[in-house]
Amino acid sequence: MPTLATVMIHASASPVGVFFQQVEIGVTLGAMYALIALGYTLVYGIIELINFAHGDIFMWSTVVTLAVVQALGITSPPNPIALIGLLILLMAIGMVVSGGLNVTIERFFYRPLRKAPRLAPLIAAIGASFILETVAQLWRGSGFVAFPDIFPGTGVNIGDVRVNLLDVVIVVVALVLMYALERFIRLTRMGKAMRATAQDPEAAALMGVNINRTISLTFIVGGALAGAAGVFYNLYIGQVYFLTGFQLGLIAFTAAVLGGIGNIYGAVAGGFIIGLVEALTIQYIPNGFAWADAVVFAILVLILVFKPSGLLGQQTPNKV
Amino acid sequence: MAAQSPTKAASSWMDSVRRWTDETMVLGRPVGWYVTGWRFGVIAIIIAVLLPLIPNSAYPQMQSLLVSLTSVFVYCMLALGLNIVVGYAGLLDLGYVAFFAIGSYVMASGTFGSLLNWAGKPFSIPTFPLILLLPVGALVAGIFGIILGAPTLRLRGDYLAIVTLGFGEIVPIVFKNIPTFYGELGMNATQPAPLNTPFGLLSFTDPLNSAPFYYLTLIFAILVALGAAALRNSSIGRAWVAIREDETAAEASGVNLTRTKLLAFALGAFVGGLGGVLNTAIFPSVNPIGNFNFDVSITVLIMVVLGGIGSIPGVILGALVLRYLDVSVLQSLNDPIHSSVLVASTNAPLHFLTNVDFNTLKLLIYGILLVVMILIRPQGLIPDARRRRELKGVGAAQEGMSAIGLLEQEEAGVGIAAADDALDQTEYTGAGSDAQGREG
Repeated sequence: MPTLATVMIHASASPVGVFFQQVEIGVTLGAMYALIALGYTLVYGIIELINFAHGDIFMWSTVVTLAVVQALGITSPPNPIALIGLLILLMAIGMVVSGGLNVTIERFFYRPLRKAPRLAPLIAAIGASFILETVAQLWRGSGFVAFPDIFPGTGVNIGDVRVNLLDVVIVVVALVLMYALERFIRLTRMGKAMRATAQDPEAAALMGVNINRTISLTFIVGGALAGAAGVFYNLYIGQVYFLTGFQLGLIAFTAAVLGGIGNIYGAVAGGFIIGLVEALTIQYIPNGFAWADAVVFAILVLILVFKPSGLLGQQTPNKV
Repeated sequence: MAAQSPTKAASSWMDSVRRWTDETMVLGRPVGWYVTGWRFGVIAIIIAVLLPLIPNSAYPQMQSLLVSLTSVFVYCMLALGLNIVVGYAGLLDLGYVAFFAIGSYVMASGTFGSLLNWAGKPFSIPTFPLILLLPVGALVAGIFGIILGAPTLRLRGDYLAIVTLGFGEIVPIVFKNIPTFYGELGMNATQPAPLNTPFGLLSFTDPLNSAPFYYLTLIFAILVALGAAALRNSSIGRAWVAIREDETAAEASGVNLTRTKLLAFALGAFVGGLGGVLNTAIFPSVNPIGNFNFDVSITVLIMVVLGGIGSIPGVILGALVLRYLDVSVLQSLNDPIHSSVLVASTNAPLHFLTNVDFNTLKLLIYGILLVVMILIRPQGLIPDARRRRELKGVGAAQEGMSAIGLLEQEEAGVGIAAADDALDQTEYTGAGSDAQGREG
């Protein structure tokens, strides 16, 4: 991933320091991957669709929030109060854009195909992904656009390891969102409806669950989490590019599969594991930068071949 | 159902075409007689064979048309190869570009004369003629198909799609990162030397005469089409259909799932490798960054979906339309539109068009086509004929659906809900079944 070059600037001296620096990077990346992976896992859990356009939903958050920052004319870090306001604004916009796009695509592209064989909505999702990518390309061009440095580079050095305030903010906010999701699914009526629909849509419908609304809600929640990840990505990597979603989408999908697709705890665990694997690959494999993607895909293939249910998923037998 | 009205509209349009083909007489027979089944193929081949005989003086753009069509034929082969995997066996392969890349690299390294060792030092290797590299490239790709397929083919359809996608991404990364094949720089294949034939010297590199490559790719495209047709009607072709329709039932009926799927996968890879070798013989530059990305896999998939999954004439039509659009129409749109908008005014509302590369629009068109076809006409432009015979009446309602992979049985087909579904689906492809009735 070319854009990861920007996270390699932390220079450390001792081998131990280097290792923990990469762990720190991996955890931060992992938080973003986990947020995107949750969108895959939620959608797969409820309608067994690999939402191929999910990565591009994430990308659209990066594109729109960049446009917002540019429209506001902000090019350098504002004062702390304004910064907090700006971050909340960007998060809100990113989450609304991604959630809204995701549910719109579901309504018009996937819902008419709900009774079609599995591959039909997957092909529709690939089409949606191409449409989202090309429109972004027509709007922002084919190259990388830099996101302004709106977050100050403050941080602390713990031994040889540099921990930026931004990294802490990303990980903490991501964890808060994940916790909120977990509580939402566990405790609220709508969360209960989501779990029921995931388990057996027909029975849930007979019990009075509005299936269409529940599925729409799932797409909104999954999209919003990807939207939040998009804002973090802009702050952390700072390069907006129309194909970002394809690559990060595949990485996050790998994370979801690694954790056991359909399982939200698995998606979070998988996200952090993949983040760590990627950061360590870049550091310790010769020319690791160029190989990082191949390593992630190789992991994907290996899991699917040897343990398709993932770390925390359940084995589902073939249905006749 | 939302999909209903467009289908109806399409059917009335098709009715008027059909009336024309039924009533217009040529040489004592209606036009329709000539364009059904194998006769249409024969006519198309005759036209294709005669086309290069039109002299340059009569049609000045002849050479560029032939080059475009050469590329179209390569993509016809690729689409027919992918159709074996997706259409016959119902396995969604999103990484077909991997086999195309492998074939391309076989051609490039077989004619380039040298490779690099691990330290980046060149060492020479012998070069081989195209006629030898064609089977070698296809076999190597086929072997990689088996290597990838053997462990992954027991996965469910959508997982398989993602694994193949990952494979399609890994292969170019490997070519880029290992020094052997000149890494990021890529290679240039040497085009085949002129052949001494009874009709005179047959040159493959003469820019004023593109006919030799045109005929070469045409021959291979025809061979692949005939092979695909033969496979479809063989016992293995029937086994593929059985797997596509119901894996569990097929297995219970004695079909060896792994071996049958693997054969489809390997044959698809074989054709992909063949296409890669041919394409590189014609367009010799092989570059791991630009040439082999996901777009290629999707382009070929859209050709299959557009034309009609599983249908040989449909897939060929899809490849013709989309590849010609790509290599000819969109390329030629750029200059006139850019200059005319510039001339009009610098702040005209359409001024943004000067920044639009119409080649980019291709992917937008592809995306829209994929979605529209799947939603409105999942059976494709020319639906597979066997399914039209197999599935009639209420069964035909499911044809459109099963055309895109495994026909999943309603898991809990209870009472009113199931009846409603059947009704919905009848409307869904109702127009399609009408058309079939007329043909049968």
